[in-house]
Amino acid sequence: MAEDLNWAIGGEAGDGIDSTGKIFAQALSRAGRHVFTSKDFASRIRGGYTAYKIRTAVDDVQSVVDRLDILVALTQRTIDENLDELHEGSAIIYDGERSWEAEIPDEMTAVDVPLKSLAEDAGGAIMRNVVALGAACEITGFDVEYLDESLEKRFGGKGSKIVENNKQAARLGQEYVQENYDLDHLGYDLETTDEDYVLLNGNEAIGMGAIAAGCRFYAGYPITPATSIMEYLTGRIEDYGGHVVQAEDELSAINMALGAARGGARSMTATSGAGIDLMTETFGLVATSETPLVIADVQRSGPSTGMPTKQEQGDLNMALYGGHGEVPRFVVAPTSITECFWKTIEAFNLAEKYQTPVFLVSDLAMSVTEQTFPPEAFDMDEVEIDRGKLVDEDEVDEWLDAQGRFRAHAVTDDGVSPRAIPGATDGAHMSTGLEHDELGRRTEDEDERVQQVDKRNRKVETAKEQESWEYREFGNSDADNLVISWGSNEGALVEALDYLEEDDIDVRVLSVPYIFPRPDLSDEIEAADETIVVECNATGQFADVIEHDVLTRVKRINKYTGVRFKADELAEEITQKLTEEVPA
Amino acid sequence: MSSDVRFTDFKSDKQPTWCPGCGDFGTMNGMMKALANTGNDPDNTFVVAGIGCSGKIGTYMHSYALHGVHGRALPVGTGVKMARPDIEVMVAGGDGDGYSIGAGHFVHAVRRNVDMTYVVMDNRIYGLTKGQASPTSRSDFETSTTPEGPKQPPVNPLALALASGASFIAQSFASDALRHQEIVQEAIEHDGFGFVNVFSPCVTFNDVDTYDYFRDTLVDLEEEGHDPTDYEAAKEVILDGEKEFQGVMYKEENSVPYHEQHGVTENMSEIPDGAPDDAMDLVREFY
Ligand SMILES: Cc1ncc(C[n+]2csc(CCOP(=O)(O)OP(=O)(O)O)c2C)c(N)n1
Ligand code: SF4
Repeated sequence: MAEDLNWAIGGEAGDGIDSTGKIFAQALSRAGRHVFTSKDFASRIRGGYTAYKIRTAVDDVQSVVDRLDILVALTQRTIDENLDELHEGSAIIYDGERSWEAEIPDEMTAVDVPLKSLAEDAGGAIMRNVVALGAACEITGFDVEYLDESLEKRFGGKGSKIVENNKQAARLGQEYVQENYDLDHLGYDLETTDEDYVLLNGNEAIGMGAIAAGCRFYAGYPITPATSIMEYLTGRIEDYGGHVVQAEDELSAINMALGAARGGARSMTATSGAGIDLMTETFGLVATSETPLVIADVQRSGPSTGMPTKQEQGDLNMALYGGHGEVPRFVVAPTSITECFWKTIEAFNLAEKYQTPVFLVSDLAMSVTEQTFPPEAFDMDEVEIDRGKLVDEDEVDEWLDAQGRFRAHAVTDDGVSPRAIPGATDGAHMSTGLEHDELGRRTEDEDERVQQVDKRNRKVETAKEQESWEYREFGNSDADNLVISWGSNEGALVEALDYLEEDDIDVRVLSVPYIFPRPDLSDEIEAADETIVVECNATGQFADVIEHDVLTRVKRINKYTGVRFKADELAEEITQKLTEEVPA
Repeated sequence: MSSDVRFTDFKSDKQPTWCPGCGDFGTMNGMMKALANTGNDPDNTFVVAGIGCSGKIGTYMHSYALHGVHGRALPVGTGVKMARPDIEVMVAGGDGDGYSIGAGHFVHAVRRNVDMTYVVMDNRIYGLTKGQASPTSRSDFETSTTPEGPKQPPVNPLALALASGASFIAQSFASDALRHQEIVQEAIEHDGFGFVNVFSPCVTFNDVDTYDYFRDTLVDLEEEGHDPTDYEAAKEVILDGEKEFQGVMYKEENSVPYHEQHGVTENMSEIPDGAPDDAMDLVREFY
């Protein structure tokens, strides 16, 4: 698998690790190679280890593996942290002129490059990471010219001189290795193709999906790892007549988003962890006032402040059951970066068609991971907008009572009422978090209460019938072994199939993007000898709801270290689980 | 419809359940008249109400409206206004709603200068929960939860607004109907956040800050010749601490509302049937 290259740069937070990694990732993607990136970072701004990892191949790559081939180490800690992933053939690029003396295991190739002084030769020490990129190109036989475009993209705004200096820095790194080492590209011959790929992460895909879907208002409060959705929208949504507000807190953010939705805008907020807790107060109001709203939860490790920069899928129960009283809702969980885009669009349509809050549940791994895709994966011609029962001036008339009052919460067979927005003549009405009658006016009448509760719940029943709540399937559909997953584990599972195949283990994988409503998996589970549910949490929240649905015990693979699943690791765990007894 | 709008058009057919004599009746009447007088009609008006006796106002008025959760009315109003710069937004609530649970939002709505009118029915007590101390209660005011008084100074909402950079600060009295209406009207016409603290007596739980008390003590700033565009003069009356004033205390002449500062002009409810025409550019950005 010499063509499957695993590269990383690591150092201290603030060392420019992220941007350097991104420059290399973009260069590889420009060269028509697939790229999958991941990040290790601690929750501090300066100091604290951080790394940017790239896996690249000509074939599609969808996950990380436990292997590192080339490591740019700016600190000793970078080497120590990654020791278990380094192997005999690994090369480590470091700067021997720096004050630390790198301790590199004998069997690995140590490539000592004076990063800092070469960078100074090119115009400034700050470019030492780019020198390292040039060196990495030489080691792998990757044409250094591919870096040029990403350098232009990254530094173009700072003037052509800076761009030229950076290009020079890369070349000095490349030449230094060429002249001082006889590595013969360590056997690599990085193939390039004519494909044009785009490289983006899950949060960018959510933001892009939101704009495509007609979202015009976003209110949020910064929190890792949801913030980059707000950062993406800021500066772009304005081009479409929209606006982003950085609210004073999450209570405000969700209420602003609610207000904009009442005004008739497609509106959204996003948060994580503690922010979702704060929003829960208003969640019920969104539902009882029958306001279409998309609430994204980019999960991170909890509870409480937990591990803010680490992966987890621990909020499923919150999304399903959060909020006081009984609240109808939809919970949609994208399983890949492209799905972050498409499911966001779907979330807006569901919210408006059924006038309910929609939880869009993503996770940290997806939000910071970048992946290459053909641009057609985000084909904008395919975007469909369904605004549901939004009634205009003329249609309002059909929904007036005998006194000419608009029945905004009319009890209907499908549970969905007409929706009039400000400006529609005769559509004026009140909505409230209090239990109310058809006109939106407070009531404690027993019959009216039951009618409204049933009406709201009926939306979910209608949606169950009208929408397709499907799963995606991978592997061998006739296999006796069934693996079920939700969220970002899909990529690693798909790649795990290759490893399992090598050991002649046949597996059928179902990746489920809908938490509520969700597909009925009874037949699939019944047909299988073994069922394993894979998720990044300790208690198996998805496994619980599946057991509840099918009344059968399932096996579980749970990871809650704060790190996402890796393909090879998953293959091993699945193999092991298959031989275990089902819990009684 | 707007030319022949009467204030009763803003009335719903729900009878208020406020205690007879509650100040909220007068406060609401003035608001409805002010809305009608400024050329608004129920179909282009959005009223956001908080929680409390005061918050019930959304039920008794007729317009597009949302009765939200406790303390969060201002963010809702902000959202409505940003999505719909073409719509008149009015937010109403009590002193507990606005200066206690919602105090954080108050500061930020003020400093954003969102173009809406915020009417606080200040009765210096929690009415709906039956008589606990509120943030504007006097420090020796005995209530069920503060038998010896709160023993902490009341919040001065006008000063809080001033310190937060308010562009319009006013105070009125529910029972001085004409002045109250004029002041709310001026707040509606102001380009930016029009803040009006209304003395709206609670006849059931507050026997200190009564109609008689305000009638006897209230000083009208207009009669005093106060110039609301004079910041220093505004500061003086707001921080006075001795007298109770009604009138417009401060009004920034060149106030630019939030949505204009941010270039928001469009009605955000209008979106294309599919993705925008140039949406593929959003994808190509990631090359
Ligand atoms: C989150 C939350 N906490 C507490 C309450 C209970 N509650 C309802 S109204 C109110 C106080 C209202 O006081 P104020 O705003 O002064 O209005 P008034 O009733 O005096 O008009 C409280 C504490 C609530 N509805 N929501
Ligand atoms: S309790 Fe007080 S504030 Fe509430 S309605 Fe009665 S008088 Fe008005």
